This record gives sequence, C-alpha cells and structure tokens, in this order.
Amino acid sequence: MPEQLLQQIVNGLMIGFMYSLIAIGLTLIWGVMNIVNFAHGDFLMVGMFASFWLYTLYGLDPLFSIPICAVLLFVIGVLLYRFVVSKVMSGPILAQLVVTFGISIFIANLAVYLWTPDFRLIDKPLLSGTWHLGDVQLSIPKAVASLGSIVTSAAVFLFLKKTKTGKAILATEMDREAALLMGINTERINSLSFGLGAALVGIAGAFLSTYYYIYPQVGGLFGTIAFSIVALGGFGSISGAFIAGILVGLVQTLGGFFFDPAYKYAIVFMIYLITVWIRPQGLLGW
Amino acid sequence: MRTMRLSIVCAASLIALLVLGGASLAQQPKVIKIGAVYPLTGNIASTGLDCRRGAELAVDIINGKYDLNLPLAKTEGLPNLGGAKIELVFADTKGDPKNGMSEAERLVSQEKVVAMIGAYQSAVTKTASQATERLKVPYVCSDSSSPTLTERNFKYFFRVSPHDGSFAKDQFQFLKDLEKKKSQKIATIALLYENTEFGSNVGKAANQYAKEFGYKVVADISYAANATDVTSEVGVLIKAKPDVLMHASYITDAILFTKTFKEMNFAPKGIMTFAGYIEPAYLPAVKSDGDYIIIRSTFALDLAKGKPLVAQVNELFKKKYGIDMSENAARSFAAPFVLADAINRAKSTKSEDIVKALLATNIPGDQVIYPWKGVKFDPKTHQNIYARGTLVQVLDEKYATVWPFDAAAKDVVWPFPGWRGRK
Amino acid sequence: MKGFSSKQIVIGSLVLAVAIVLPLIFTSTFFQHVMILVFMFGVMGVAWNIMGGYAGMFSFGQVAFFGIGAYTSSFLLMTYGVNPWVGLVIGGLVAALVAAALGYPCSNLRGHYFAIASIAFGEIVRTHFNNWKLVGAAEGLSLPMLDGGMKDFMFHSSKLPYYYIVLAFLLLALLVCRMVSRSKMGYYFRAIKESHDVAQVLGINVARYRLVAIMVSAFLTAMAGTFYAQYILYIDPDSVMILPVSVQIVLIAMLGGAGTVMGPLIGAAILMPISEVTRVYLGYKGTGIDMLVYGFLITLISVYQPKGVWGLVSNRAKRVG
Repeated sequence: MPEQLLQQIVNGLMIGFMYSLIAIGLTLIWGVMNIVNFAHGDFLMVGMFASFWLYTLYGLDPLFSIPICAVLLFVIGVLLYRFVVSKVMSGPILAQLVVTFGISIFIANLAVYLWTPDFRLIDKPLLSGTWHLGDVQLSIPKAVASLGSIVTSAAVFLFLKKTKTGKAILATEMDREAALLMGINTERINSLSFGLGAALVGIAGAFLSTYYYIYPQVGGLFGTIAFSIVALGGFGSISGAFIAGILVGLVQTLGGFFFDPAYKYAIVFMIYLITVWIRPQGLLGW
Repeated sequence: MRTMRLSIVCAASLIALLVLGGASLAQQPKVIKIGAVYPLTGNIASTGLDCRRGAELAVDIINGKYDLNLPLAKTEGLPNLGGAKIELVFADTKGDPKNGMSEAERLVSQEKVVAMIGAYQSAVTKTASQATERLKVPYVCSDSSSPTLTERNFKYFFRVSPHDGSFAKDQFQFLKDLEKKKSQKIATIALLYENTEFGSNVGKAANQYAKEFGYKVVADISYAANATDVTSEVGVLIKAKPDVLMHASYITDAILFTKTFKEMNFAPKGIMTFAGYIEPAYLPAVKSDGDYIIIRSTFALDLAKGKPLVAQVNELFKKKYGIDMSENAARSFAAPFVLADAINRAKSTKSEDIVKALLATNIPGDQVIYPWKGVKFDPKTHQNIYARGTLVQVLDEKYATVWPFDAAAKDVVWPFPGWRGRK
Repeated sequence: MKGFSSKQIVIGSLVLAVAIVLPLIFTSTFFQHVMILVFMFGVMGVAWNIMGGYAGMFSFGQVAFFGIGAYTSSFLLMTYGVNPWVGLVIGGLVAALVAAALGYPCSNLRGHYFAIASIAFGEIVRTHFNNWKLVGAAEGLSLPMLDGGMKDFMFHSSKLPYYYIVLAFLLLALLVCRMVSRSKMGYYFRAIKESHDVAQVLGINVARYRLVAIMVSAFLTAMAGTFYAQYILYIDPDSVMILPVSVQIVLIAMLGGAGTVMGPLIGAAILMPISEVTRVYLGYKGTGIDMLVYGFLITLISVYQPKGVWGLVSNRAKRVG
C-alpha cells in the first residue's frame, strides 16, 4: 500500500463526515420546501461564532455548547422562515432563489459589522491533540466531529422514520398535496424543517469551530460544496446526502493527493456536473 | 496732476505686488494632499488598518517636530515649502483591482492629491498605479511585493520596499550561508503557495532561484487560500520528503497549515515562509506551534539592537495605537517619508518636479527603520536598489532576526526540531 | 425600427439623449466610472435575462463568460497583436462555443439544479484559469498601454470614449433582447417557462431554443468582459472569474425585473451606484454597512416585489393607463 494512502483515506473520511453533517440540513430544507438555502453556509458561520463567543465569554467548551447552538439556529431558522421565506413560497422560482441569497449577504455582513472581519480561533478545546495509530495520525477534534456527525445523522434519520412529526415531514417531502389532504399542516412542517435544517448546520458549526478558523465569510466554500453534495445525493434524501458527503470528502482528498491539490475542488464540481448529466435525480433521489 | 499720476503708479504697484505676492503664496500650498488607497473594508480590513496606521504615524512625524533621525522629522512640515503640512486622503479599495483604479482616479481628479501611496495587494496596486501613470501623477509604493510592479517601465511609479523576487533569493542565499555555517548539506526544496497573484509570483521566483543556486525542487504545490482542509497538500509534501519547505501564504492558510503540519507530523529540516506567518494575528492563534518557523521580513522589533531609531519609532507607535508596530505598518511607514523628502527637495508639487526629485533620492541607511543601506531608486525600474529583507525565526513565541548572520539578534535554530516532545 | 410604438420611440429617444449628454454635464471621473459600471453590468444583466428571465435557465455562472471574453481578447492582443475589436468578436464566439458545449447538457435541468450546475461550472472555469500558465495563471494579464484611440480600443486621457462604447454595447444588448422577446423563439420561451412538459408535448424544440439562448447570452456577456479588460487594463481570475460577480448579475436582473427588456438596466442603475457610493462614503470605516443595505434590499425585493422595479412601474402604469 503506497505510503500516505491510509492517512489520506482517513482524512478524506473525516472531512467527508463534516460535509455530510452540513449537507443533511440543506437537503432537508430543499426536500421539504424545494428551496435552495443559499444562506446555509452563513448558518454554519453563525454556529461557529456562537460556539466561539460561548467559549470566550463564558469558558464553555464547544462540545457543551452544541445543544445551545442547535437551539439558537433552530430559532433563527424558524423566525427567518416565518417572516421572510414563507412569503416567497408562492412566488416565482427566481424570487425563491434570490431571497436566500439576500439573507446570506445580510447575515455575513451583519457578522462583519458586529464582530469585524478578523478571524478567530478556539485555541484550547477540551479534546485536542492527535492520536498516533501506527502510520496514521488521527486528529482528535476531527475524529470527535466525525463521530458527532454520525450520531446526529443517525438521530435525524430515526426521528424522521419513527416519530409522528418526522413521518409528517417525510410525507410532505414526498408528496405535498397528498400530505395536505391527509391533514398535515404543511406550513408548520415547513417552518419546522427550516428550523431543523438550520439547527443541524449549527451543530456542524460547533464541531467545526474546534479545529477551523472562524470569520464572517467562512460559510462560502463550505456552502458551495454542500450544494454539490445535496444534488449528488439526491435532493431530499438524508441518506443520500450523508453518503454523498463522505464520497465528496474522499474524492477531494484523494483527488488532491494523487492528482493535483490545486484542482481538488474543481474535481468535486466536475463530479457534480457529470452526475447531473447522467442521473439528474442524484444517486438516491427520486 | 503729478500727485494723481504718482498715486496711480503707487496703487498699480501695490496691486501688482499684492497679485504677485498672492500668486506666489498660492504656489506655496499650506497643505499637500497625498492619496492613500488601502483595503479598509473586506476580508483583510485588519491589514488595511495596519497599513493606515503606519502611514499616519509617518505623516505625524513629518508634520510635527520630533528629535528623530528621520527625514523631515526635526522640522514642522516641509521647510522648503514654507512649512506646508502633508495630509493623507484615504480611500477604500475593498481589495478589488477595479476599485483601485477608480479610487486612484477619484483621489487625483476630485481630491486633487499630488501623489499616491498604497495599496498593499499587488493586484490593486497594479491598477491604481496604471491610473496614476495615465494621469501622470507620482506613486510611491512601500507595501506591495509583486516583482512585476517594477517591470512595467512606468515613469511615475516607484517602489521602496523589497519584492518577492528578492525575498525568494534571500531565502536561498540563507540556505547557502547556512550550509557553510553549520556544515550541513541541503539538497531538496518543496514549494507551497497560495494560488493568487502573490503566491504564484513567489512560486515562480523560487523555482528560478532554486535552479540558480543548485537546489532540486521536489514538490510544487499551489492551493486555494480558503481551503476547507489541506490534508492532501500536506500528504503530497510528506511523500516528497523535502529538506526544506518554502511556503507563501496569507494568514488564514498559515494557521491551517501549521495545525495540519503538526497533526500529520510533517517536519522537514526547515520551514521557511512568506507573509502570512508574520501577520500580528498568527502567533496569538498558534502560540508555541509557530516556534522555529522562519519568515522573510522587512522589519523586526529587535533591529533596535543595532538601530535605536527602531525602538524610538516603535515607542511613538505604541503611544499612539497601544500596540507594537507590525511588519505591515512598518512597510507603509516608508512611502510618506520618501515622498515628503522628494517634494521638499523639488520645492514644488508638480508631478514632473516630484519625479525628478524621486530619481535623485538618496536617503542614508541610518535614517530608515529597516536594515537597508538607504533609499535610492534604479533609474530604469524605479526599484529601491538598497531594499532587502531579513529572515526572522519564531523563538519563544517572538520574532527574532536570524539572518543576515552579521545582523542577527539570535542564532538560528536548525534543523527544525519537529513537533513531538514540544508543549 | 419595426414594432416600436410612438410612445416608446419618444421616451426611448429622450432617455438616450439624456444618457449621451449626461457625462458632458457631470464631468467628474467618478461619476463617469459609476455610469460605465452601470452600463457594463446592464449589458450582462440583459444577457442573463435572455437565458434566465426569458428561457428560465437561472444561471449563476455568467462570470465564466465574462472572464473568457476578457481573457481571449487580452491574450490574443498580448501574444499575437490581434486588434482588440477583433478579439472582442473572437472572445464572444469562444464564450458561445463553451456555453454550447457545457451549457447544453445542463439545459434540461430544472431551475435549482441548473443554478447549482452553473455555479459549479463557473468555479471549474476559474480553477482552470488560475492554473493555466499560458494565460498567466494566477498572476493575470497586464494589458500593454497602447497609443490609444479608437483603433486600439484604449483611451488614456478621458473616460468619455469608454462611456459611449459601453453605452453602444448596452443598446445592442437591449435590441437583441427585444428581438428575442418578440420573436417566435421568445414566445416559445415563455411557453417553456410556464411549463416545460407542456411545451415539449406541443412539439417545441426546447433543446434547440435553449441552446440559442445560452449562446447569445454568453456572447454578449463576453463582450462586456473584453470591455472590462480594455478599461481596467489588468485581469486576473480573482477579479474576473469569481462567483460574487455572477451573483451581482442575477441580482441586477432580478431587482430591475427579470423577463423584461429594460428591467436589468434599471436594476444596474440602482444597485451599482448604491454599491459604489456606500463604499466611498460609508465603507471605509470597515463595517460592511454597504453590503448590509444591499442584502436587505435584495431580500425585500424578492419578498415584496419579485417582478422587480419594472414590475412596480408597469403596475402603476397599468393602473393609470
């Protein structure tokens, strides 16, 4: 086995798990409401900043601020849906595309205004350092984040399949009219899903803040990659987004290692384009 | 009759005197406006602020009376122009080259500045100076490092500070000096650089000098500064097993790579870097993980050992802004002095006169806060021929000058001691 | 001038006359620069409209064509001494071909998918140019300072020629857009936009018309790119191939009124001055207030008046008349 291969696979998996966590929130919103949330990366940023301020002002380790970030982003998501997004649901598609862009620009620059463009770091999280397992160096914060992503995704999956509300969300996703006819309050489901989607990426932000630097525009690249992942996995499919996230993480890392790091994101986007040409509904979408 | 004619002559003479005197007074401006284009908002607003502070301190010193061995410090304003004071007019480029152009134009045509300084980012300096070249206004740059800026045969553009070509050469010269000093052999180099104009220029220069100095380049990697993860890049570096890594980055990727180097245990004999690692926010972010990394620099506080002027200026900076002078602030500190000195010698604010005076600039080495022989421009390229960099190494979370060896404050630690076994 | 009502001719001529005279009255270079940006983005907004507002292909990757136009003409000029006007046309053709090759397979994608594909496309093109040594890679291209004059497509002493040239480009774009909107093709586009499936059932060759729309849109956008290169004299992937420029184009068309001829021009006339003026007077304090206002406006428009400003105006006109 060529040296470094195992290391790169491990790293690819870990960044993939982070991508997955970011993507499942996006796919949920997309699946239920048919809205591409261009502000998703900025929700990630808000989650990261929330974790940072809780750490800096109250000494709360990011692992413990996860529930707080989740709740905070949930509330923000629901409020944004209620007061802004819901109003364009019946409008032209272009308005739906653009409204979240407007929200994205607003949130990112509000962050600049409030917290300056300087970047921040959480320098001494509780779980830090590296495990040395033979030839492979395993970054502890990244490993913890990966575990968190798996647990959260499983939890969401179970929630959707087993609980009444969850099943209502799935039903709305599959066939909106039928769900309405079955007496499901689709408006409530919408706002719940938007909030849940935001909460999920808020959790991702809390995990990410343990090893990545934090600044107002951090959502940019993560967000763009998340769109590709969601479309690759099939919009609306949680398992699709999860698998696609891991795939993209592996492709990015291995592609960068074996081919050329300068092209690693181009490779990811190329895969997206090829997938939608061949199979427009994505890997697991319908 | 005679009285009438006499009074008319007197009145006429008086009027003539007043007009002439007034005209000459008008030619002695009380305020000389200089335009300053910097990225005051946007992603690198904090760097823009750094630069702004350096320039403002320089103007303070010029306009006031200070007992410092700096040009025009001991007098108030420009003595040859009746004590006229310099006024900096700032404009925000947001780091966008098209704004560099439009702001430079606006400053010249609306604010009536007589010269320009700025703009930190080389891409923006390119367009801003293109505008001033078109408008025939002098531009003195001391904070952009792209070699291409002084390869354009511009008449009105001058650069005071060193460029990435000479910085790259410095790093290789250091390696040669080091091989001799420590009797060690260095053979292979890995190049790592962010993929905008800055990084790729460094990459190009480094490739060229590696060949000249006889080193083998075993990896040549360009990457996106805002990457989400750099494990592929570091993996390629580990596989290449270089003796020395040369890395051109901004601040955020400097941090990301430092963490990843540590995580993946990439420990070549030397890590030599440009720019990002010397930003004021780097060390507070990585703390002791930054130790033993070597960075090219134009300025370091420990230069004060051989040059007390450095400590004196830093004192003033600290008094005014509450923090030590950073490398960026130090670089932007130079241009106002060079311009003021030239305008003073020219005794005029006309472009052609200023350019002529700039070409004749000869500021001695003890009047600058950098380790240079002084400021003197090459007549063709308008690059300061005495500009040079130094190398600093992070020791105990502080920057210490380690090269040139005869100007070093501390002995360089080589090879890189690795990541394990450190705090 | 077939098909213009007399009212349209009068108003149109008046507006054009004002546009022509404006820079002679307001001679500040800053003002002229802002107007040049308005017209340049106006061209790109109108071009976007042909693809997006009319044919329903919401492209967030127009910047790729902008960059291809800029790079093609500049590269040809610097390497082979090709006249920039010729380079302008070649750049447009190259962009149209790239659009056909890459855009065509995507043209069947539904709204959101197409939008994301266009973002991916834009990023791929940017990464490629960033690493392509032949065209300067990340260092970009610095155009040589030619003597100046119409034949060089470069002017040094005054911005006025630039102003009038880009105004002419804008008129061209508006005319093309109008032609499209009033043609059989435009009629079919509206059908396609209403319902993709119905249009297909009716036998309309959806694919062919989409292809034409993409190519025309790309050509016009590339023209704006060449103009930019000749105006700013320096291009690099970081300034002519980035996503924010694509987003700005969409926002301009949307703000002014997607699917209308004049909409993007109005959008440009509102957004560009706001962006420039807030940067000059508010921006330098480093607080991003200008972009805050921007984001807020855009959100507002998409919620309350998705038909854009033109929608507001024409509603009022309908009510009155």
